[in-house]
Amino acid sequence: MGNLSFKNMSRGGKIRIGLLILALIFPFFPFVSDYLLHIAILIYLYMILSLGLNVVPGFNGLLDLGYVGFYGIGAYTSGLLTVHFGLSFWLIIPLAFINGAIWGFLLGAPTLRLTGDYFAIVTFGFSELVVLFLTNEIWLTRGPLGLPGIEPVSIDLSLFGGPKWEFVGELPYYYLAIVMVLVTVFVMYRIQGSRLGRAWFAIRDDEVAAVSCGINLLTYKVIAFAISAAFGAVGGSFFARWVTFLSPDMFKFWESFLILCMIVLGGMGNIWGVMIGAVVLVSLSEVLRELLPLLGLPGNCRFLAFGLIMVLMMRYRPAGLMPIPAVAAQMRAGRVKRKKRKVAVGI
Amino acid sequence: MTPILKIEKLFKNFGGLEALKNIIFDISRNEIVGLIGPNGAGKTTLFNCVAGIEKPTKGQIVFTNGGRTVSIGGKKPETVTALGIARTFQNIRLFDNLTVLDNVKIGRHCRTRALFFGAVVRTRRQKAEEKDVTKKANEFLEFVGLEGRGEEIASSMPYGYQRRLEIARALATEPHLLMLDEPAAGMNPQESSDLMNLIRRIRDKGVTVLLIEHDMKVVMGVCERVVVINHGQWLAEGKPQDVQNDPKVIEAYLGTGAADAA
Repeated sequence: MGNLSFKNMSRGGKIRIGLLILALIFPFFPFVSDYLLHIAILIYLYMILSLGLNVVPGFNGLLDLGYVGFYGIGAYTSGLLTVHFGLSFWLIIPLAFINGAIWGFLLGAPTLRLTGDYFAIVTFGFSELVVLFLTNEIWLTRGPLGLPGIEPVSIDLSLFGGPKWEFVGELPYYYLAIVMVLVTVFVMYRIQGSRLGRAWFAIRDDEVAAVSCGINLLTYKVIAFAISAAFGAVGGSFFARWVTFLSPDMFKFWESFLILCMIVLGGMGNIWGVMIGAVVLVSLSEVLRELLPLLGLPGNCRFLAFGLIMVLMMRYRPAGLMPIPAVAAQMRAGRVKRKKRKVAVGI
Repeated sequence: MTPILKIEKLFKNFGGLEALKNIIFDISRNEIVGLIGPNGAGKTTLFNCVAGIEKPTKGQIVFTNGGRTVSIGGKKPETVTALGIARTFQNIRLFDNLTVLDNVKIGRHCRTRALFFGAVVRTRRQKAEEKDVTKKANEFLEFVGLEGRGEEIASSMPYGYQRRLEIARALATEPHLLMLDEPAAGMNPQESSDLMNLIRRIRDKGVTVLLIEHDMKVVMGVCERVVVINHGQWLAEGKPQDVQNDPKVIEAYLGTGAADAA
């Protein structure tokens, strides 16, 4: 069991280890600036978020348009706890996970009885509600003024007589983000191969058959929604302590849409595909941010570019860059059929 | 001995349509019972009522197992499955994107317990459970003759194998009563004769079988008793040969006058 020698690894495993090593030594390349590190951290953050969201549409087949609501709740809870109570980041992360799960449960338990589009609309409404709350409850969140002065992450060993090491610059956050991505991937990977993951896949593929196998739809959907929300809140907590400033318009609907695009682009339900989606869209977003002003276009035109990408993808790779194996196989079969038909027409 | 399933005065209305009217029959333990009737007679509706997918309008469905008698009319499908009733579907419903083995493993769902914590931490109990799930799933695959195909994607298998996989998945829930909805539909004679053997072997394991079937060869070959329903009503019941020669049944299938001609 668990043979970890490099030689015995599959090609995919070797590629993954290689990429991880590359990610670990990335900050030491001479061309890497703070700006590039910042983008890399952003990519990792969106990896966590899209992996979290992936649980709902990717594993369960439910459309969730309000993921950013949990992200916002996580970020503000973490920010407020830090500002008012000075809680340590290491304490806040598990709290954020539980907090997110609770909110996921509160929203999911009554609404997951709804099917398909109706549920999507509820989630959309929820995320708008969160933004409105953050904007209007000025006594708590300072509203549109934003929440500044959130203390950065630190490792405080003063309790044990050790030093207090505060995170300065992007480098420590870079490694923190990598650790968080690894933990998220680990959790997702474990779930994927477990009874819980199988129950979700069953629900995704056929609800009636799932029920006949003894799976309680509502229970498992709520669990999925809570876990997804928990990861959203954890991502939000990291975000709060990293940028040290929060404002309600960081959690607008566009963020949900962007994260959903990452999943669809990468390949719904595939952990590795979803991560690729995050890499592609975050880096593209940054490139466009630089490029569009040069062309004399407003920055928000990048959403047009995203739209174009989605359209092209639906035409050429409808299942995403890296679909789950079964879908990939069906796509291949479909392509063969299409080719054959073309030949027939040619004759 | 108390029958494993008792259907007592069962009614099911869909709006103004009476899909089932006063259905009464029993199934004894370890029997293979056929449920037949012309298209639209209400056979699948009856299945759905027993399986918990439809709620009966009136009447009782009583399931007796291991000395425990439960009225299952209107119970949730997952509860019914946990009590020991499994089913297959008329139009195959597999988990298309999953492997054959995973399909059967999902059948083990109601007999296992691990959740989030178990999945992430992999406690000793969870590991043992997972090992057991894999072992049992493989046994069921072997039982239906799909050994060595566990890694294939379910939807890529030939039709006949998909039928068997659905049966394996149903068996994996460890049912005492297995309901098969047209298991021989679309099968060639060789496949349906294999299927009949399989059904007999399932019964020999101690599982009671209720099947809907249109293929009379299968019904005559494997069923010990046949219940006929027509227009949602109980029509006849008895040994396959007797039912086959019953003028009422012939009339239901072929129309008035046909019985006289025969």
